[in-house]
Amino acid sequence: MNAIILSAIFGIVMMLSSAFVKNTKAYKSIALVGLILLLLANICETYSHAWLNIPTFDMLEFSRFGLYFNTLAIACTILFSAFSQREIERVGRYIGEYFALIFFVLCGIFILSSYNNLLMLFIGIEIMSIPLYILTGARKENLKSNEASLKYFLMGSFSTGILLMGIALVYGGTGDFALVHHGQDISTSIAGAMNKRMSFLDVAGMILILTGMCFKVSAAPFHFWAPDIYDGSPSVFTSFMATIVKAGAFIAFIRLFAIREEETTILENAIIGVDWKMLFSIIIVATLLFGNITAIFQQSVKRMLAYSSIAQAGFMLFSLLSLNDTAKEGLLLYVVAYSVATIGLFGILAKMKDYTLAGYNGMAKSHPTLAFANAIFLLSLSGIPLTIGFFAKYYMLMAVIQTGGYMWVAIVGVIFAVISVFYYFRVIWSMYFKEGTVELKYPVTKGFKILAVVMALIIILLGAFPQVILNFLYF
Amino acid sequence: MPIQYYIALAVTLFSIGVVGVLIRRNAIIVFMCIELMLNAANLLLVAFSKTHPATSVAPLAGIDGQLFVFFVMVVAAAEVSVGLAIIVMLYRNTHSVDVDFLNRLKN
Amino acid sequence: MLSSHIMAAAPVAAQHASSYLPIALQIVFAIGFVALMIFVSALLGPKRKTNDKLANFTSGITTHGNARQPMAIKYFLIAILFVLFDVEVIFFYPYAVNFKSLSWTGFYEILLFVGLFLIGFVYIIKKRALKWED
Repeated sequence: MNAIILSAIFGIVMMLSSAFVKNTKAYKSIALVGLILLLLANICETYSHAWLNIPTFDMLEFSRFGLYFNTLAIACTILFSAFSQREIERVGRYIGEYFALIFFVLCGIFILSSYNNLLMLFIGIEIMSIPLYILTGARKENLKSNEASLKYFLMGSFSTGILLMGIALVYGGTGDFALVHHGQDISTSIAGAMNKRMSFLDVAGMILILTGMCFKVSAAPFHFWAPDIYDGSPSVFTSFMATIVKAGAFIAFIRLFAIREEETTILENAIIGVDWKMLFSIIIVATLLFGNITAIFQQSVKRMLAYSSIAQAGFMLFSLLSLNDTAKEGLLLYVVAYSVATIGLFGILAKMKDYTLAGYNGMAKSHPTLAFANAIFLLSLSGIPLTIGFFAKYYMLMAVIQTGGYMWVAIVGVIFAVISVFYYFRVIWSMYFKEGTVELKYPVTKGFKILAVVMALIIILLGAFPQVILNFLYF
Repeated sequence: MPIQYYIALAVTLFSIGVVGVLIRRNAIIVFMCIELMLNAANLLLVAFSKTHPATSVAPLAGIDGQLFVFFVMVVAAAEVSVGLAIIVMLYRNTHSVDVDFLNRLKN
Repeated sequence: MLSSHIMAAAPVAAQHASSYLPIALQIVFAIGFVALMIFVSALLGPKRKTNDKLANFTSGITTHGNARQPMAIKYFLIAILFVLFDVEVIFFYPYAVNFKSLSWTGFYEILLFVGLFLIGFVYIIKKRALKWED
């Protein structure tokens, strides 16, 4: 609760400070202080010091896993705003508002990591997505940004409509929005109704919800919006959207199905002919296929990263297939690995003049530090051992193997991981083994370089000791 | 009236909305179709709230469906304001609200 | 109880479905008649199309300009803000229904709600979104 309320308050504070504070340099400091306070408040709540405890009538439930996810999301946001602060200031005139919107997005993510009611799922998703439509169109005079914003808005609200219809149908089938009832007769909750037998309305509703969530996490076959929008929006906000926001949508996705599996055996029984796990496997394989194969043919690195984010979403979906403890741990590792690497790559990309592959030619000569950091980020994304990306993929595959019976999905995953190495290494190749000069659009400060190296070191250190992250989940 | 009638009506409205989003090219009309989808779901929620009356075990059953509709309406209003702002911003730059006109990103 | 009532009413409604037949027939005939008349009159009526006849009648004064003037962008901004503030009133309905039972706690919470709105309003004023003249 701490994090939800404080993030909303800090959003309002940023909004008001943009109206009252004239000094544009002050905004990022206020935002950073706010983020750090948010982090502290959330950690306090993890160790049972919830100051702001408001009765939510079981609509929200704060588990250790959700709170720890919040911590990671805030930490990634701090990294993001520290690393790309100059770029955020360059997007437009409304710097205070950008930070305010980022706080509101975080508020939505916190709701999504702790909801226990379909109403909260809906509200969380909306609080998370509506500010993003604005951030996507933040470059008001840039047609590409405008177009991306309109497309994102239309696609996003379309998927919201589908999700809402799904929720309405599930409500019709079960008579309740709550996922779990505490201290009540279990037979009145959705889980109880599921235990008996899913009605037709239920199944239809769950499939619509699944569709809507697939839209939000850009899983195939509903991934088509992602590349255009990631390409069109300002690079800073692309990195925010592709990492932290996507992780938030994933948490919501996993939470919905994990709670249902915990309470019932719904996912194990094939109910009226719909075998859910088979459905998930098909979605995973399709996402991996589209993401990886199209990423190979991209010439623009920004667009390649957009497609690769679809491919990475495919890997994160493995946790949906297995839904056991390993999968949850793996998801946290994946969020960290993927977010840190992608934030780093986009942060450096935003400084460059030429976004194409040729633009990276000879980076190792002119900017050895940045090239080194870039290389580490790319190695982590492709899952090379000794980086955190390797362990993230390892945990995901391990979780699937533990479930049993879906060996073939794991094998397909390994094959696509190998394919992904190809397009990530193309960038490394052009940085280190091609001649050329890298032109930067904006100067690179010393602090920026240090931060880039620190992020690379985080990736390597966590790659050596992945337990560091997971230990906090239990202690 | 049986609940099936309401379901049929809501599903029809929803389908009209989906088809409209997929085939219309004017951003404002696409937007109206999305609103139609949301309102079809609202209708269904209210209809279902009458078929799940309150019991001693679940005293709030039925009411929550109607409350959900309030939240959906408010969220829809927020979406309307953001969406219209985006469309106006686009119109100022291109003098068009045609979705097909926007194909600069595909290259 | 309500649901059992609805369910009990179901067969009755199904019986009545057949008694709507006359109304359906009447609708078909009404629409059919109007459509037929429009179609026949378009078919049989004389058609003389000249430029003078198709032009708008403006009492002899030549037309100039387009009737669809672009509207001030300020108008949209204010309309959008109006939609936002207008719809939020919806949350007062549940409060009004439970006004007594929520007593003072409910009152404080609604004060908080209105307070958040005031903050938004201050922001709007401060950003000069409501100023017509620049």
